[in-house]
Amino acid sequence: MTNEYLPKKAKIERIIEETPDTKTFVLRLKDESDGVLKYKPGQFLILSLAGYAEAPFTFASCQSKDGKFEVSVRKVGSLTNALHQLKEKEIVGIRGPYGNSLPLDKMKRRDLLFVAGGCGVAPLRPLIQYVFKNRKDYGRVEIIYGCRRPKDIFYKDEIKSWQNNPNSDMHLTVDEPDESWSGACGVVCVLLPKIKMNPKTTMVFLCGPSVMIKFAIKDVLRLGFREQNIYASLERYMKCGIGKCGHCYIKGKYVCLDGPNFSYAEMKKLGIES
Amino acid sequence: MKRLFITAENLCILIIKLKRDCDEFIAPKKEHLDDIIFGDTKDDGGELLDYEGNSIISTRAFFLPQTEPFFEISSAKNSDFVPIEDKKKRLFYGIRPCDVKALVLMKKFFIEDGFVDIPYKQKVENSTFIALACAKRCLEKSFCHKMDAGPLAKEGFDLQLIPVSRGYLVEVGSKKGSQIIKKNKKLFSNTKTQDEKEIKQMIKNFAEKVKKIDYKRLARIMKEDKVGHKIWDDLGLRCVICSGCITLCPTCSCFSVTDRLNGDRGVRFRYCDGCPYVGFTKMAGGSIPQPLHKDHIRRFFEHKLNVDVERYGMPSCVGCARCIQTCLGNINIQKFIDEVLAS
Repeated sequence: MTNEYLPKKAKIERIIEETPDTKTFVLRLKDESDGVLKYKPGQFLILSLAGYAEAPFTFASCQSKDGKFEVSVRKVGSLTNALHQLKEKEIVGIRGPYGNSLPLDKMKRRDLLFVAGGCGVAPLRPLIQYVFKNRKDYGRVEIIYGCRRPKDIFYKDEIKSWQNNPNSDMHLTVDEPDESWSGACGVVCVLLPKIKMNPKTTMVFLCGPSVMIKFAIKDVLRLGFREQNIYASLERYMKCGIGKCGHCYIKGKYVCLDGPNFSYAEMKKLGIES
Repeated sequence: MKRLFITAENLCILIIKLKRDCDEFIAPKKEHLDDIIFGDTKDDGGELLDYEGNSIISTRAFFLPQTEPFFEISSAKNSDFVPIEDKKKRLFYGIRPCDVKALVLMKKFFIEDGFVDIPYKQKVENSTFIALACAKRCLEKSFCHKMDAGPLAKEGFDLQLIPVSRGYLVEVGSKKGSQIIKKNKKLFSNTKTQDEKEIKQMIKNFAEKVKKIDYKRLARIMKEDKVGHKIWDDLGLRCVICSGCITLCPTCSCFSVTDRLNGDRGVRFRYCDGCPYVGFTKMAGGSIPQPLHKDHIRRFFEHKLNVDVERYGMPSCVGCARCIQTCLGNINIQKFIDEVLAS
C-alpha cells in the first residue's frame, strides 16, 4: 500500500506570468514510473516544496494527452512566495488528484453559466476547456469574469477564444478601470442581468472570494436559477487532501473529500452560504 | 467470553517473558509529583502492575505524537522525500478501557475509513495491547460508564486484565492474545465462581445510580441545531485557547505538516494541531472561515458527540474527563451533555 503523504516529483516545464502577482506553472510528472497524472475538472492537488511544506491548488487546465497540467499560483504566503522564485526545469512535489469533480454527466445538453471572480477563474478553467473541447454535448455557454484591475485578468489570450466560441458569450468587468479599459465596471453581479439563458434549466458554476459567492448566489436565485443547479467551489484550508488532518472540516464533511465542489442545496445543509 | 485466571506473581513472570518479545514495553509508571504516565519500562522495570486512576496523557501520544518525523528530505532541491518508518514492536500494558475504546475509534478513522494513514497503521500493526479494567472510578468527574467505555473494555485489546481479590481475570480479545496464552499456558488457571461474582459486584458499584447517556438523542439535537445559542456563547467566553483539551483528548486526530531544513537536507514533520486555535482554519490570504471561539468549541463537541455517532455509530468522547480536569475556563463536556439533554 502506498503512503498517500509521499509526494511525487513534478518538473516545471514552463512558467507563464499571468498577472503582477500570479504565475501559471506548467507541470509534468518527472518519473516515468509515475505515469500520467489523471484528473477531472474541479479536482485539486497538493503542491509540496521542501522547506515550505504543502498547500492545496486546483488544477487550472483540463486533462491533456501529453500529461502536462497547469497550476496558477498567486503570491500570498511563504509557500507561494517560494514557488514564485522557482525557474523552469526545477522540481516540486505533488500529491493527488483529490476531491470531487464537477457533475459532468448532469451538465450534458444543458446551458451553462460560469461566474468567476479574481483567481476564481483558475478552478473553473478546466471545466470551461472541457466544455469547449466537447462543444456539441452542451447548450449555450456564458462566462462572467470580474477582476479588480484590467492587469489582474488571467489567461488573457485564451479568454479571447472563449469570446469567439459559437453559442457562447463572455462578459468581463473590472472594479478599478484604467484609461485603456472600455468594458464594464463593477463587481460580477452587475453583469448577471445581461445573460440570455433560461434560469430554470441552466447550471451555474461559481468560484471566487467568499463574499462574491455569497452575493452572486443571492442574485442568481433572485433571477430564478434553481438551488440544485448552482455549484460553488468552496475555499477552505486543506492540508492533507485525504480527510485526515481536520482543517477543512465543516459539520461532518471534509471539503477535501466531499468537496471542494458543492451544490447550493448541499451548502445550505452544511449551514454555509459561502 | 471465556475468562482465565492469573496471580499477581505469575503476571510478573508473564511480563518478563513478554518484554523479551518486544522492542518497547510501554506501561504506566510514576513520574515526579507521582503523576502517572505511559513510558518504556523494558529495561528499568518501573512499570506499575496495577494502579489507581489514569495516566495524565493517553496512549494516543504513541500513535499520533506531538511531533512526528514523517519524511527525511534527502534533497530539497530535487524534492527527494524518504518515508521515516517506525517499525518498533511495542507492547502496551495496563491501558484503561476508555483509552482502549479511544484507540478503536482512532483506528476506524485513520485506517478503516477512506484513505489509509500508513504511518498510523504501521504503528498499530506492530503493537500489542493489554488492557487493565478499572476496579473503581479514577476521578469524580470521569463518566466513562455513561459513555459505554468502562469499567471493562469491550473490544480493541489483545488481552484484558480484570483485577479481583486473589489476582486477575484474563480476557482474550484477539488471535495475538490467544497466542500469548498458548505460549504461557502454565501461568494461567481456571476462574472460580467467586471471581465472577466479584466482577459483577465491581460493575454494579461502578455504575450505581447511573443512567447511560442517550447519545443518539444528543446527536440528533446537535444535528438539528437545537442547542441553545446561549450555551455556545457561554462556552466561547470560557475558552482561553490553552489547547489542553485537544492535547489530552484520546480521540483528537487533527494535525498539520511542516518542514525543517538544514541546507538542502531536512525533515518533514507532522504535528498535532486542533480546532481551538484561531489559525486552524486560516487560509493563505488571511481569511478565517470560523473566527469565533464559540465556533471552535462547537466544532470540538460536534465532532465528538454528533458527527462520530453518525459515522461510527458511537460518540468519540470516552468520558475520561481529561479535558474537564485541564480546562482553565471550567468547560465541562459532561455538564454540556446534561444541559442539552435536559433542555
